[in-house]
Amino acid sequence: MSFLSKLFRRRRYDDLTVSIREHIAERADELVAEGRSRAEAEQAARREFGNVALIEQKSREAWQWPTAESVFADIRFALRQLIKSPGFTLTAVVTLALGIAVNATMFSMVSAFLLPHIPGRDTQNMVVVSSVNPDAQMTPDTNPVSAPNYFAWRGKTRVFSAMSADDAYRDGSLSRPGEQPESVSYSAVAPNYFTVFGLAPVLGRAFLAGEDQPGHDHVLILSHGLWERRFGSDPSIVGRTVRLNREDYVVAGVMPNDFHLLAFTPQLWTPLTLTAADHAAAARNNRSLYLFARLAPGVTLQQVRAQMSIAAQQAQKDFPATEQRWGVSVRTLRDFLIYNFNIGTALAVMMCIVGFVLLIACANVAGLLLTRAVGRQKELAIRMSLGASRVRVVRQLLTEGIVIALVGGGVGLFLAYFGIRVISAGLSFNDAVADVHVAMDTKVLLFAAVVSFVAAVLSSVAPALKASRTEINTDLKSEGRGSSSGREHNRLRVFLVGGEIALALFLLIGSCLLIRGVYVLGHQKLGFRRDHVLTAGLVLDKARYADSSKQDQFVRGLAAQLRQIPGVERVAVASDLPGSGAGSVPIHIKGQPESRSNELHSAMDAVVTPDYFSAVGVPLLHGRAFTASDDGTAPRVVIVNQEFVHKYFQDRDPIGKQIQLDTPGVAAGWSEIVGVVGDVKTYSGLPNVDPEVYEPWMQRPVAWFSVMLRSSVDPDSLTPALRHVLAQLDPELPPLRVMSMDQVIDLQQRGNPLFEKLLGTFAILALVLSAIGIYGLVAYSVGQRTQEIGIRLALGAKAADISRMILREGFKVAAIGSAIGFVFALPLPRLFESMFQGLIVGAPEVYPIVLAAMLVVAFGAIFGPAQRAARVDPTAALRSE
Amino acid sequence: MAKDSDRRDLFPGALELMILQSLRFRPMHGYALVKHIQQVSDNLLQVEEGSLYPALQRLLREGLLDSEAGTSAKGRPTRIYRVTDAGLRHLEQEVSSFEKMFAGITRVLAVDQA
Repeated sequence: MSFLSKLFRRRRYDDLTVSIREHIAERADELVAEGRSRAEAEQAARREFGNVALIEQKSREAWQWPTAESVFADIRFALRQLIKSPGFTLTAVVTLALGIAVNATMFSMVSAFLLPHIPGRDTQNMVVVSSVNPDAQMTPDTNPVSAPNYFAWRGKTRVFSAMSADDAYRDGSLSRPGEQPESVSYSAVAPNYFTVFGLAPVLGRAFLAGEDQPGHDHVLILSHGLWERRFGSDPSIVGRTVRLNREDYVVAGVMPNDFHLLAFTPQLWTPLTLTAADHAAAARNNRSLYLFARLAPGVTLQQVRAQMSIAAQQAQKDFPATEQRWGVSVRTLRDFLIYNFNIGTALAVMMCIVGFVLLIACANVAGLLLTRAVGRQKELAIRMSLGASRVRVVRQLLTEGIVIALVGGGVGLFLAYFGIRVISAGLSFNDAVADVHVAMDTKVLLFAAVVSFVAAVLSSVAPALKASRTEINTDLKSEGRGSSSGREHNRLRVFLVGGEIALALFLLIGSCLLIRGVYVLGHQKLGFRRDHVLTAGLVLDKARYADSSKQDQFVRGLAAQLRQIPGVERVAVASDLPGSGAGSVPIHIKGQPESRSNELHSAMDAVVTPDYFSAVGVPLLHGRAFTASDDGTAPRVVIVNQEFVHKYFQDRDPIGKQIQLDTPGVAAGWSEIVGVVGDVKTYSGLPNVDPEVYEPWMQRPVAWFSVMLRSSVDPDSLTPALRHVLAQLDPELPPLRVMSMDQVIDLQQRGNPLFEKLLGTFAILALVLSAIGIYGLVAYSVGQRTQEIGIRLALGAKAADISRMILREGFKVAAIGSAIGFVFALPLPRLFESMFQGLIVGAPEVYPIVLAAMLVVAFGAIFGPAQRAARVDPTAALRSE
Repeated sequence: MAKDSDRRDLFPGALELMILQSLRFRPMHGYALVKHIQQVSDNLLQVEEGSLYPALQRLLREGLLDSEAGTSAKGRPTRIYRVTDAGLRHLEQEVSSFEKMFAGITRVLAVDQA
């Protein structure tokens, strides 16, 4: 509405007033002429004319853009009303702001992890093909695929128009000539990888068709992030040479900034070279490729799944030794990336919790609005008697609720800005998570707006409807002495507060169960000593350490030098850190009938040096440990863990028995079990233990391993010495992660403290909000009943009786609400255990403790107003009003 | 209290029709308009002020009426309403469609009686 037209309208309205004034005056004159007194005539003329204000309003409405002007008027009026009672406004706004802030904050994670931007053209037609691992614990259907299967499946051109392979999660060292190397994570991808996404680099070119051939494969493509950070966004980088794993590579291109695929976002890409060996049947055990494919035109996901399940069955029949029980899974690209991240369940639970917090906040604000509506009953009655319709009054009250919610939403977004910063700071515990950008994006803003609106409606509809059901006569006449509608308002409030307490208790129990479950997992006995161990990861590149004798030589030299460091007690080298999930291989046991069933035996396989068990504190239970004489010339030996003995030897003595491991790329042969060691948790964050086989390092050295130093001093203090030794042995070999074992495990569980902190925050918020709710209810009811209390006191009731009465009434609401919440919370442990794999909730003691805490808090909230009720001065109470 | 004027309206637009017809030959102010309709209809039709002023404003907005500052018979300032050319055209259309409708209703009623 422009200023001019406003001015114009103002004049119109003035004209109208002039007309009406004259009309009434003329009628009055006429009545005077009929012989009435002037005063009488004027009054009669006015009465006959009717409600001047209403008629003026209706006349004005002819000019107005349907109801916009009255909406503006409502908003102006609501703002004035809210400013007039700052205490109420502040409480309501802050309550809603908190509720909206936690929702917006959590939703920023949902937006980043569950609604990510997927780069590429027509990505809804892209799928990821993965293997289904029959033995995996976590997301078994996202297992990578072997090269022979990739070759077989990419030929299915009836269903796939293109398929590419990604050998992800490689670690390497990157440097420019003459610079210190740094370790990078990279992926080796088939040359058509970026083409399948329909994306081109922002600089340079994608891989060419022949670049997967040995001799042509020394090209790489940088991610935008690495290009910015390491190469200062140098536009002339394309064509330059960099060193990756001690070999010269030519930079072919730089990918765009938005090329992020959740967990599949490396720092650089090289071509994936697959050789004749990758076609051999033996290569089927080596599953390391993620297959990204584009569907052929018109092919549906169901058709692909059907085709692929036939292909998997065929493979099982043709290669039972390696493919038995292995299946295949096809998911859309988006679905796979999100599912593979495996964060959906946790986020869903968190969103439910913040949703509950918001409901509690809404109940509080609804309670406040109800209280206010009672106070304003006379105002509403006057407005209705002056011709305001019920719809108009409801709209006015709703407008107030919406204004509160919008202001609350604004403040909430402001708070959420900080909440999101806290969360994204906490979300840096691994590269994949740190790469996902959690921020207040448009999705979050939209969500906050919707949530604010829903909150407005939830918290103000009931009070508005209730208040508009005002009886004009009784409300104008009554002086608010416990009128019937007042009592009815109170019933609604009791209902609100009871519901709010039920929700809060439910939420508290749920949060405590989850926090306890996560805590127990994070503090379980791992089966080894995590203190006083320094670890470092190393990858020996093929350029310098081509064969296993060179690798072995390096490791011997390294171990010998590390032992010289003062404070180092033992040095161990192993293919895997304990508690970090070693790879699984099929096994055969001599003398045991080769599984007639479909079941293939399998076990985790780690290669360790003789000092490993004493260095990390895994106890030897039977037999012997490895010695220096268990080398490549000696008979092959292995050590197994207790779970292995339990599962495959039914706890009978396995010493002297022969087993065979189908390790990819290793000549088959029988090994003798020479020892049994204690169980180590497969993953530090999960409760399960899998059968495990340890092989002696010197019989099968590997290129990718971790070094562990058991020290008598603070392990972190040994870091410089470790780096120094490494730099002397090989200056171009950067260690991957130099950190203490404690840090390694903390890093693996870094998500847990954040999860626990968030849960705790939300639970406390729910508790505080519901306490405010019940405090408000009781305080209000005491205020309403001041006169009643005064009468009781005047008639001889003792102050203690009065406060006991108030306490009892408040406590009844708290107890009933708690009981309801308690009952609803009973099935939670089973629900959580089915949702979170590995979580063992079983903590019945949480229930009575949380219930008691809730009741104590409720009691505390009621106590104040109850005491105040007892201090009511009977004479003052009776005189008031 | 506002009287419910809609119920006494003959049909939607009837009041507008009478206002336009009344102002057709003589511009008047609000009160005179009420009196005029009352007299002409022999007190059969009584215009509610609650309907009259909103109707006048609607007609003004649609450009069928025009208003100017003037004085009443007693010399008080008021607004005088007059019909515009567009108002005249609108009136003629409405009258003819009203007549058609009235004829139609009469016939239907006649059939009913038979």
